[in-house]
Amino acid sequence: MLIKRTEREARRGSLTAAFADKSGGFDRRTFLKRSGLAAGGLAALGSLQLGSVQRAEAGSPVAAGAKITTTKAICTHCSVGCTVIAEVSNGVWIGQEPGWDSPINRGSHCAKGAAVRELVHGDRRLKYPMKLEGGQWKRVSWETAINEIGDKLQKIRATNGSDSVYWLGSAKSSNEGAYLNRKLAAYWGTNNVDHQARICHSTTVAGVANTWGYGAMTNSYNDIREAKTVVIMGGNPAEAHPVSLQHLLEGKEEKKQNFIVIEPRLTRTAAHANEFVRIRSGTDIPIIWGLLHHIFANGWEDKQFIQQRVYGMDEVRKECAKWTPEEVERVTGVPGEQLKRVAEKFAKERPATLVWCMGATQHTVGTANVRAFCTLLLATGNAGQGVGNGANIFRGHCNVQGATDLGLDIVTLPLYYGLVEGAWRHWSRVWETDFAWLQGQFTDPKMMNVAGIPSTRWYEATLAPKEQVAQKDNLKAMMIFGHGGNTVTRIPKAAEGVEKLELLVVADPHPTSWVTMGNRKDNTYLLPIATQFECSGSRTASNRSIQWYDAVVKPIFESKDDLEVLYLLAKKLGFEDKMFKNIKVTNNLPLAEDVLREINRGGFSTGYCGQSPERLKAHMANQDKFHLVTLRAEKNVPEVGGDFYGLPWPCWGTPDLKHPGTHRLYNITTHVMEGGGTFRARFGVERVIKTKVMEDGKEVEKEEKHNLLAEGVASVGSDLKDGYPEFNYGVLKKLGWDKDLTDAERATIERIGGGPEKSDGVSWATDLSGGIQRVCLQVHGVMHYGNAKARVVAFGLPDALPVHREPIYTPRPDLVAKYPTLPDVKAQFRVPNIGFSIQKEAVDKGIAKQFPLINTSGRLVEYEGGGEETRSNKWLAELQQDSFIEINPADASDRGIKDGQWVWVTGAEGAKAKVKALVTERVGKGTTWMPFHFAGWFQGVDERNKYPKGTDPIVLGESVNTITTYGYDPVTGMQEPKSTLCQVAAA
Amino acid sequence: MARMKFLCDADRCIECNACVTACKNEHDVPWGINRRRVVTINDGKPGERSVSMACMHCTDAPCAAVCPVNCFYTTADGVVLHSKDLCIGCGYCFYACPFGAPQYPRVGNFGSRGKMDKCTFCAGGPEADSTSAEYVKYGSNRLAEGKLPLCAEMCSTKSLLAGDGDIIAQIYKERVSKRGYGSGAWGWKTAYKETIAT
Amino acid sequence: MAEFLAHVRYFVGALALLAVIAVATPSVAQAPGQVNPTAQSVKEDQLFQQLNRLDGRVTIPDARSAVLIQPAGQSWREFHQSTLLWIAGISIVGMVVLLTVFYLVRGVVKLSSGKAGRTILRFNGFERFIHWMTATTFIILAISGLNLTFGKNLLLPLIGPEAFTAFSQWGKYAHNYLSFPFAIGVFFIFIMWIKDNIPNSVDVEWIKQGGGIVGKKHPPAYRFNAGQKIVYWIVVLGGVAVAISGYLLMFPFYGTGIAGMQLAQIIHGIVGVLMIAAMLAHIYIGTIGMEGAFDAMGSGEVDVNWAKEHHKLWVDEEMGKTGSTRARMTPAE
Repeated sequence: MLIKRTEREARRGSLTAAFADKSGGFDRRTFLKRSGLAAGGLAALGSLQLGSVQRAEAGSPVAAGAKITTTKAICTHCSVGCTVIAEVSNGVWIGQEPGWDSPINRGSHCAKGAAVRELVHGDRRLKYPMKLEGGQWKRVSWETAINEIGDKLQKIRATNGSDSVYWLGSAKSSNEGAYLNRKLAAYWGTNNVDHQARICHSTTVAGVANTWGYGAMTNSYNDIREAKTVVIMGGNPAEAHPVSLQHLLEGKEEKKQNFIVIEPRLTRTAAHANEFVRIRSGTDIPIIWGLLHHIFANGWEDKQFIQQRVYGMDEVRKECAKWTPEEVERVTGVPGEQLKRVAEKFAKERPATLVWCMGATQHTVGTANVRAFCTLLLATGNAGQGVGNGANIFRGHCNVQGATDLGLDIVTLPLYYGLVEGAWRHWSRVWETDFAWLQGQFTDPKMMNVAGIPSTRWYEATLAPKEQVAQKDNLKAMMIFGHGGNTVTRIPKAAEGVEKLELLVVADPHPTSWVTMGNRKDNTYLLPIATQFECSGSRTASNRSIQWYDAVVKPIFESKDDLEVLYLLAKKLGFEDKMFKNIKVTNNLPLAEDVLREINRGGFSTGYCGQSPERLKAHMANQDKFHLVTLRAEKNVPEVGGDFYGLPWPCWGTPDLKHPGTHRLYNITTHVMEGGGTFRARFGVERVIKTKVMEDGKEVEKEEKHNLLAEGVASVGSDLKDGYPEFNYGVLKKLGWDKDLTDAERATIERIGGGPEKSDGVSWATDLSGGIQRVCLQVHGVMHYGNAKARVVAFGLPDALPVHREPIYTPRPDLVAKYPTLPDVKAQFRVPNIGFSIQKEAVDKGIAKQFPLINTSGRLVEYEGGGEETRSNKWLAELQQDSFIEINPADASDRGIKDGQWVWVTGAEGAKAKVKALVTERVGKGTTWMPFHFAGWFQGVDERNKYPKGTDPIVLGESVNTITTYGYDPVTGMQEPKSTLCQVAAA
Repeated sequence: MARMKFLCDADRCIECNACVTACKNEHDVPWGINRRRVVTINDGKPGERSVSMACMHCTDAPCAAVCPVNCFYTTADGVVLHSKDLCIGCGYCFYACPFGAPQYPRVGNFGSRGKMDKCTFCAGGPEADSTSAEYVKYGSNRLAEGKLPLCAEMCSTKSLLAGDGDIIAQIYKERVSKRGYGSGAWGWKTAYKETIAT
Repeated sequence: MAEFLAHVRYFVGALALLAVIAVATPSVAQAPGQVNPTAQSVKEDQLFQQLNRLDGRVTIPDARSAVLIQPAGQSWREFHQSTLLWIAGISIVGMVVLLTVFYLVRGVVKLSSGKAGRTILRFNGFERFIHWMTATTFIILAISGLNLTFGKNLLLPLIGPEAFTAFSQWGKYAHNYLSFPFAIGVFFIFIMWIKDNIPNSVDVEWIKQGGGIVGKKHPPAYRFNAGQKIVYWIVVLGGVAVAISGYLLMFPFYGTGIAGMQLAQIIHGIVGVLMIAAMLAHIYIGTIGMEGAFDAMGSGEVDVNWAKEHHKLWVDEEMGKTGSTRARMTPAE
């Protein structure tokens, strides 16, 4: 009998010993060779003898006597921000260990996080730059690629203008990469610069920022543990943010939380809920107003909170009165009793938090949805009041929060300064670049202050007649840095757009779905970019914590760091001296730390100013010091004492101020130097409403003034006990607080203002010394951005008060007359929005009869985003091998469809997709659901041959966005993939 | 000596498949071999539960009993391991295993079975601990390094527990008493002839 | 039949489960307001009471992995570790004992009329080739098969694990590959000799007289007597059974699930050992048990007297035929 006793002693690094007897061993070079650069490597290993012992593939190649080093990295898949511990030997990543110390994931991962090591094996990575010549992929050198791309860009600038080039950035690059990408677009001279946030939480950012000041998750995953009631609406974190479920489920168990899921699908998250509300997709506002109807009717609202800190609730009350339980049930399908139960729990069993994701945001009414959600929180006093409450918005990509903050966005420069002249002047001061020069980079200087074209609609700006595009000329070039093509709706149209481009550059670790779109023959370049595991930098997780990570290995093959490629492009375009003036560059690679320092110097508006690289690195080294729930380190801990983990922004002032970061936004129960805050005074001091009334037979104009500042309440320890506006030098002087400034701070302020007398307008956000912030926070305990009310009436937006509007393609044409979408607009973000006409046409044509099934879409746990990276990962790809559509058993049997069979899904605009049927009760009758990660098939045709050889993902499939349809949010240009119509038939 | 066991708390499992890819990652398990998998019962219906399943390292293991060449052995930790040098790929252990744990690489031209592969509780095989000979056949040996199976260590919601049977049973018991419900320790009755009284 | 019953069981179980779910959760469609996904968690015990295995959904396209727990493995283990050993032991050892006793009591069945010296062609070359192909492969299959059942108790202690594995590994290859010639052999046996193996009234008489083995008389028979017909049908039916069940096992999950494979293995094992026992008797009577019998499969030519004693009606038929058959009767010299 065989017996082996296991010796139970820690022998870290024994893997080295394990391979000591292996003759030769692999070094990094041979390993890369075997991984595909040289032909035949793995193929030879793969052939197996009959009955032979299965050799574990590739093994963990460690050379004899090699040392194993451990690197702390951050998972590159979702916004949770899990720590990855990488074991590296001889330049090869040989093992992954759980990162126990991180308060975010405590060692845990999801399928993607547990498989990240495969990303840098790179079997199917793009290995060197390539270009398309006569329809054939050809290897080129980096030098050739950059030169040719640069020349073509200059030619387009000369012929069509600087706005004809689109810079599509990535939510997967580091903060530094995203920032430099935005900066490059500014130096090039366009606001046509965007990234994935457009299609993910752009409506959240717009909606939330327009309510209380900043566009981000107010609390954190960890803080949800403190809630008593959790409502997840339009989100499936079990698949999209699996590690967050650790906090949610533990909170649910320990606090006996009410765990409520409001969704069209019984998702893996809903399976763990103790109340599941199944709604019709696209009826979020009626649900919220329906909940508030019960809350107001029963007096469950938080009256004191509303009086002190909320503006406009009376108008909401009026709107909600219309949403009787009967009307809500008619529109949403949810019975009044259930909503009443949910409403009561949400209002009475506090703290309550609302969690949402793409189910709420990806609609033509996305921004309005988000504002309605905020309204529910505000009406029940579940925002800005300490632990366990707030809007816990789960962001998508690993750095979508950071990339949004750093301005990969058509409407703003980095950190939400906007596009106004003052913003450009602020950044030109930070960049030490002449404002006039920047202005000169725009072919049409007026366009400097005009929002660009959203990434959801770039192809319209390519395809539409020139006169319909509100800029000098059509789009001619797409510079795509890490953004899939299949995540944007209406692929058939986008494919036409791709064909029409004069230049397509895809800079990505993988060729991505862009290479399969359209039939391009020339002028297409692929640049191999390193994954973030091969780069150093910082990324901002969903809870605004910023985590610094080091490169696990050097960029593999001929891949380059984003930063290096951006530098090379700047160099080719001739402005690298200006653009990298304050950033150290070694061998064409800008130093990430220096980039972050530049962000710190200019990032006062959003509190990206205190997170110096040194502080962030100290946090990573001391992860174990932070508390699981409060995320705070004890005060007496060296280096990071008193800080919140990752210095979640806003982390005010200069790094020297040692602001601890802000775990919970707008929290008045805490001192502002301890992470407390107030609602931001962003919308003025008062609102003046002018109305004309008939008085004594005469028309008289009446003025009504509404106070927008908080009333009788301020954050703990504040010198000012009532609401107050935001601070500038002038206000400081008025209060006599300017004496608290140091001479250096005063000098900086006066330099910015252009002289002592002209500096009153220098605000807390443009004061590059950080002095105004320091004086307010440290000396007087007040919040420099003011202490205002959150507003539930967002005057200035298309629907100041959110109102229900049916999706463009609605299954309920009978409701369109009462709840139509907004009227057409000729130019919205430089292109027309004809949603109203399309909705009307659909109703007139009876589209809902031909396409009776609602199609909604979402995420799978195994894949992420466009999916090229994860579908190329053999450990993940094995788990999901076909694109599919979920269909209810009743709908399936009506159509004679069996589980697992091939079906054709036809979208309401006529495009078809061939996928497998997954017959399941997850979706209700009349609803179907598809994942959006697949690409490589188009309308039933396998397009694997369009990828350069050896770079095709293992799994290809039909993208849901082949069949998605028209529909755009008026505030952000958000697409509508969550509510469209389709028909399904057996293939 | 500790008796090693697995326990999947189905009320925590969200079918994220981290255990599956962690296993693939740790041992470089090839495509088509699934030492661990997640099965969802009552998919899409109220009461849906997912359970992560692999070799349970049974007491009186059926695989060992039916093996015609006696290639199985149980370590002092109660981990059921086998020798690929002795295995002939007959498939009997697959018929006997209640959990579908044994996996066979396909060899030859007609899908016949190669040598059986299964979860080792990250404890390698009969070769000397942490040697390359052990690694290529069975994957890494975490137990010998004082670590527990990676699938459980990386579980996203701490649903999958691995370790000393008494300790994980205690953890599970506490959870159930705290939250007031539990769908049971799946497979324990079958594997260990015991249940966790809750 | 057992499989059918198993299906019925699953079906009934599934219905029971549906009924329970239907009772436990007021229909989702009717009252979405009542849905509480965690109100009742699925419990293992409760499911086992309704089903004898737990199935679910997995994302990998591999149907076998959707089975979560199948306690049927325990019953299969019981069969393999106990039932089969008893059946095999009793039938094979029993047969050997029986034949030994018979040999001691009855001795060799002699030719009572002595050799005629003239022979008659009983099996032509092709028939003999098929017979021996089937026979040799059967013996190897039997040994390698028995090795899987008894080897670890009998052989392993003698030769040690490495040698035993090597032997068993080759045994497995042999078992897999030789199954093809064996199955082909069975197929030809079936079509070659079917017309001579249809039971008829002569067989009844032959059986009544105990085949002459117990007395001195030789009941008449056509080409095959009832005893040989029994062997024929054992080979054909048993061969088909072991071949089909064997191929189901050899190509796992083509056409069967785990339950089907367990059933196939049970059939394969039982039929296999019974066939081995039967073939022992066949070998005995064809070799040492009966004088002159071996020639039929040896040279193919049997002594006319032997033929007349054992297959009177066949010889008469052959004699009655004209031409070529008669010409084949040549002097033994």
